[in-house]
Amino acid sequence: MTTELEKDITHMLAEVVEMDENQLWEKRQLRFVDELGVDSMLALEILALLEKKYRIQIPEENLLDLVSLQSTIDFVDQKLKQRVA
Amino acid sequence: MNRKAVLDYEEVRRLLPQAHPFIFIDRVLEFEAKQRIVCRKNVTGSESYFPGHFPGIAIMPGALLGEAIAQAAALLFVLSDDVPPEENNRLFVVGTTRTRFLKPVFPGDTLTISVEVVKLLSSSAMVKGWVEVEGEKVVTSSLALAAIDAAELKAQKRTLARTRVPQEVSS
Repeated sequence: MTTELEKDITHMLAEVVEMDENQLWEKRQLRFVDELGVDSMLALEILALLEKKYRIQIPEENLLDLVSLQSTIDFVDQKLKQRVA
Repeated sequence: MNRKAVLDYEEVRRLLPQAHPFIFIDRVLEFEAKQRIVCRKNVTGSESYFPGHFPGIAIMPGALLGEAIAQAAALLFVLSDDVPPEENNRLFVVGTTRTRFLKPVFPGDTLTISVEVVKLLSSSAMVKGWVEVEGEKVVTSSLALAAIDAAELKAQKRTLARTRVPQEVSS
């Protein structure tokens, strides 16, 4: 974890999926649903938390972009950049 | 007499998949589609759970206050849905919940149950809810609900039953 965004999202998601932050970070390329035991309810919770923290709107179809920690970080990063631009 | 109600008990009963003695909403007072709902429940000494909870002092079980919030959320979901209630065979299951019980609820209390949508998807919702008695919060909760087709849930139950039996036999 180097950037603030990486640290913040890892911290937030580690709490939701009940994993150690460093462990989750090591597994950042793994798929939440298949490999980390996240179900649709937890995915929804993650979505709501991200929307609130970063004040972004994530439409339902973007759920598919949030498959792993890494893809979630990339997605939020992109959203935030779009907002600045 | 002021009897403000959006939905009365008969309508609540028709919309919720639950039945007596497991309905914890008497009336819907306010409703805004896909946004919020405010419901009422009057708690009486004759509730079925009071003889057991507890024999010495009647306190409404916290889990049932959570259930009241979940039922208010289910009503909000059903009322906001494009599917007509008569064709709606979905059940609502709570996936995650974070709940704080702030004050006990006793017979004679009137509950005002409020639910606001945090995020609404096509078959699930994240909501925050709270219960007030005389303007004071007694429970606050944040929960995720999923709408599941009743037939699908029954099929899952059968699958579970089938997979469990051999394990029990072998052990």
